[in-house]
Amino acid sequence: MSDPTFTIATSVDDALAALANGARPIAGGSDLFVGARQGKAPLPESIIAIDRLAELATIEATSAGTRIGAMVNHATLMTDPTVVADFTAIADAAALVGSPATRNVGTIGGNVMNGSPAMDTGAPLVVLGATAHLQSQNGSRNVTLDELWIGPSRTSAAPDELCIGLDIPARPERSGSAYVRLEYRRAMEIAVVGAAAHVALDDSGNLAEVSVALTAVAPTILAVDGLDSLVGQSVDDSTLASVAERASEVATPISDLRASDAYRRHTVGVMARRAVDAAARRAQGEQIAVPVNRALGIGASA
Amino acid sequence: MTHEMNLAVNGTTYPLTVDVSRNLLSVLREEVGLTGTKQGCDDCECGACMVLVDGQPVNSCSYLAVQAGGREVTTIEGLGTADDMHPIQAKMLEAGGVQCGFCTPGMIMSAQALLSDNPNPSGEEIRIGLSGNLCRCTGYQKILQAITEAAVEIR
Amino acid sequence: MANATEQKPAPRFVRADGPDKVTGSGRYVADMSLTGMLHAKFRYAGVAHATIDKIDTSAAETIPGVVSVLTAADVPDVIYSPVVPDRRLFAQDVVRFEGEIIAAVAATTPEIAQQAVDAIVFEYTERPVVDDLEAAMAPDAPLVHEDWESYAVTGDTPRDRNVATFSSIAKGDADAGMAEADMVVKGRYVADGCHAAPIEPRGVLAQWEGTKVTIWTSTQVPFDARNGVCETLGLASNHVRIIVPHLGGGFGGKCGFHFEAHIAALARDARRPVKLVFSREEEFIAPDRRRESMIVDLETGLRSDGTIVARRGWVAVENGAYTADAAFFPQLAAMHVAGPYKMDNVKIDASLVYTNRQPSGSVRAPTAPQACWACESHTDELARALDMDPVEFRKKNAIDTGDTGAVGQVYDEIGMQECIEAATSAIDYGKDLPENEAIGVAIGWWPSFPGPSGAFVRLDADGLGQIVTGAQECGTGAVMTLRQLAADELGMDPEDFQIIYQDTGVGPYDTGATGSQTLLNNGRAVVDAAQQIAEQLRVHAAEQLEAAAGDIVLVDGAAHVAGSPDRSIPIPALAEVAAEGEQLLGKGSGTPPAYPDIPGMNCVGDQGVAAWAAPQFSCHAVHVRLDPDTGVTRVLNVSCAHDSGTIINPIAAHGQVEGGVMMGIGQALTEGTQYSDDGRQLNAALLEYKLQTFADLPTITTAFIQTPTTEAGPRGAKGLAEAPNVPTAAAIANGIAKLVGQPVRKLPMTAERVWEASQ
Repeated sequence: MSDPTFTIATSVDDALAALANGARPIAGGSDLFVGARQGKAPLPESIIAIDRLAELATIEATSAGTRIGAMVNHATLMTDPTVVADFTAIADAAALVGSPATRNVGTIGGNVMNGSPAMDTGAPLVVLGATAHLQSQNGSRNVTLDELWIGPSRTSAAPDELCIGLDIPARPERSGSAYVRLEYRRAMEIAVVGAAAHVALDDSGNLAEVSVALTAVAPTILAVDGLDSLVGQSVDDSTLASVAERASEVATPISDLRASDAYRRHTVGVMARRAVDAAARRAQGEQIAVPVNRALGIGASA
Repeated sequence: MTHEMNLAVNGTTYPLTVDVSRNLLSVLREEVGLTGTKQGCDDCECGACMVLVDGQPVNSCSYLAVQAGGREVTTIEGLGTADDMHPIQAKMLEAGGVQCGFCTPGMIMSAQALLSDNPNPSGEEIRIGLSGNLCRCTGYQKILQAITEAAVEIR
Repeated sequence: MANATEQKPAPRFVRADGPDKVTGSGRYVADMSLTGMLHAKFRYAGVAHATIDKIDTSAAETIPGVVSVLTAADVPDVIYSPVVPDRRLFAQDVVRFEGEIIAAVAATTPEIAQQAVDAIVFEYTERPVVDDLEAAMAPDAPLVHEDWESYAVTGDTPRDRNVATFSSIAKGDADAGMAEADMVVKGRYVADGCHAAPIEPRGVLAQWEGTKVTIWTSTQVPFDARNGVCETLGLASNHVRIIVPHLGGGFGGKCGFHFEAHIAALARDARRPVKLVFSREEEFIAPDRRRESMIVDLETGLRSDGTIVARRGWVAVENGAYTADAAFFPQLAAMHVAGPYKMDNVKIDASLVYTNRQPSGSVRAPTAPQACWACESHTDELARALDMDPVEFRKKNAIDTGDTGAVGQVYDEIGMQECIEAATSAIDYGKDLPENEAIGVAIGWWPSFPGPSGAFVRLDADGLGQIVTGAQECGTGAVMTLRQLAADELGMDPEDFQIIYQDTGVGPYDTGATGSQTLLNNGRAVVDAAQQIAEQLRVHAAEQLEAAAGDIVLVDGAAHVAGSPDRSIPIPALAEVAAEGEQLLGKGSGTPPAYPDIPGMNCVGDQGVAAWAAPQFSCHAVHVRLDPDTGVTRVLNVSCAHDSGTIINPIAAHGQVEGGVMMGIGQALTEGTQYSDDGRQLNAALLEYKLQTFADLPTITTAFIQTPTTEAGPRGAKGLAEAPNVPTAAAIANGIAKLVGQPVRKLPMTAERVWEASQ
């Protein structure tokens, strides 16, 4: 096996030039490394390390909302005041990823560009309407995540495009979001199923907006359609039951050693219901600590 | 391809030429010669290989050694000695947080990262803070006690 | 009645190997290097059952850097294993599980060794995979060992085709008893296999000098490992030295003789030191020590007054492809299926069944967690059938001091009932609980294993001590506690002693870190040896102090004349005198506690595990919370009570219970080996084989019921390391069953299985 070349990028331009020459970017490198050792994919021939690009590790207000830099790690996502207050589902998800070490090394850009259907931050980004800002030497563009993720661990990004950050639109009034995941143990888990929800309420406390996305029940993160009929409804048991039913209906899970398809189909409905419930409660101003999993329900502390 | 780098470990800088594909763990153990950092799995699941890179916890089994160039790496050997133990090391021993000892260096490094960030952690915060370090011997409870006591001593 | 002792505050006893371990300076096998050392890799079958058509190593041998390639043709043709010898170092003609070794390579780097392993051509014809215990017992089932009748089996060991060993336990007339019952409750319980999963993947390093080989290896049983090397390579016992540097946990997984001979053979052939270090995947797949899967059918006859009148049981224990040390498992499983209960009529048949899967072997309390889970799930079903509280049912039916157990052994001075009382009262059993929470209770038992064991103790001229023992420390602290025993005999401080241990070339024989036996047996040996030195010191002191030797007491590092505290001489001064003449050397082996007689026992296939010396008892009460929508169970609180006799080192003892409980929670909820249809492990990694994490830690409290026990170890200590692993899964099961309304009949009780049971 030939050993790759390795360069540390000192600027975004530096990185883009390397990508144009065929290098692959790495941030924390865990996915790349573990994947190579497990024989999923060999290490690329040329590696450009982008983890020292401080300009990609910021969370900044933009004219359209907020940009989360691609090199922001999970440890930051779960504690950053802006993310926790406005994009709480991302914080919920980041706090559930692996362990403190993997949260320290793993970045949101690495996650998004890895494109795994089991990534925890994916469903929150979808329900929050995030787009990925990609840049190459030929220019830049924003793509929706639906366009970006085209299959398990496959993206539509060109090899020379670097993810600069995730752009998330400003939040409406009286809105909240949440991410909930099925966990067999309280840490070091990979999503068996998960669900993120975004909810905005109208003046009377009924649903003005609701969106749900599901983790690990389809080849990519799955946005749940067909929830429009819930707009105008109150967030009650009947509404939540409809959410659960619809989530289970649209899911196309597989059976594997982690769970059967039937169990995944059932539990993803449970997760969707809980995510919408928690998002609505946050929209009403209730303080539910991050992550929801440990504040309520599954995995809650004694 | 090999890569020339300076690797700073526990305050000493080592000029090294390493293959780019090598992980930090193997370079620490085989090139630098510090074997306190252990290999328990190969995929970030056990935490026995935990080191600090610029003060932050990293699974050295899944981190390219070349990524650590120009950064400060701290291993268990950088923490304390048998004659002059770091409070976490001393409390781990006193409280019975050590049995076979194989997870111990990684556990102590995670504890060090936790206490640097949060000098007064709750029991739940210790549980979560050390959740990337598997221990099969102790059942964790005496480690919880040790870290709680070490936090008091460090404060 | 046993004497329930209040828990005393634990003295701060710092283990002698502790500073090595917390500073990272302690060496494990993987940390060792020798000049000229090569690296070993194994070629595994990778197929569960096949006829070998061809193994061609020629391409591998030509790769630059490859020094040695060995197959079955290169080592003596020896069939080994205790009781049922059915195993060779390298596969010959047939492979019977995926992790069977067909070739071994030594090369200059691990990468080149792996390249060579991959270059070995292995052609085979697949055979039908035997992986269903019941189907394997059918008369027309494909055989795992076609030549099973040719094996040189020892002892009373009934066998038939895929049944490697058969045992029964029997008393009274189970059929007649069942006919008298007012009600009969039946149930089937099926447990998956699981793994010891020590955090250290094993390593072996071998170096020859002349005709002698030194092997550093991560084994729990150095003398077993030595004997295995001698047997398979045809070497004399004093030409093989096994040294264990620090051992990174074992839990039974590193018991037995494993890969030491392969590496010694490579090193001999290569004329260089050779080192093997396992990956995590290999640690899952290759060792012949996996916890056995099991099927238990139970049928119990009850009288309406709540007493048990009869029990019939049928148990199938998975052997895997080779017998390893599992010959006694059926009888031990039968004892746990009977449980620590009074019953006049019992008949339990148990078989050890070959499959084309990884061999089973002694993992921490072999057979007990699964069999106890079956027995205790069934016990709660009995109580439900009687409409009786399950704890009351246990108090009524569990054995007490003076009672007769299922095989006829009379138990004197035991703390079973006290354990039930202590564990349930500490958790406030019966208190009101939120919806979706419950407390499950289970009781368990486990034998102690008396055996031969030796130790030397010496005091050097400066009065400092050295304990030299063949005993093995696997992390429990049992060997560490030997310092305390020696120091107490000599009136010295434990810190005055160092320990030389786990080296067969130096220490006298000990069975190793297996069967919770170290303190029980080697503790006696050390006390015996230390007492000899104490006697020498008394004689020297008597001369110096002009007193009778019988009047000398050893306290606080000095010899004193009893009653005259000012007439004393420090032990170092006596040691200095002794060093000029007959040195202060003690050698001990002590007298093992006796195994009890069982008059009239009519067990078939007795493998020696029906009569229990110094039996240990336990009760765990576990507070669980169930998420009914998903079946996810969380353990909130575990209250344990253990009668393991006298507790000598409290910190270590609590550590054993807490570690056993966490392992038990894993076995209950998340740890199970999963197999593909073609007999290969699907979850041989720590992401998919889920140990409990720190975040899952509940509150664990432990009460020790320190029953005075005469036929036991030093000061009345029984074993301890395995007992805490016995009843946890069972107690969790009973908590879940209360919430689901019926038992989950499969172990582990994964979220999905709990959810299915509640549908």
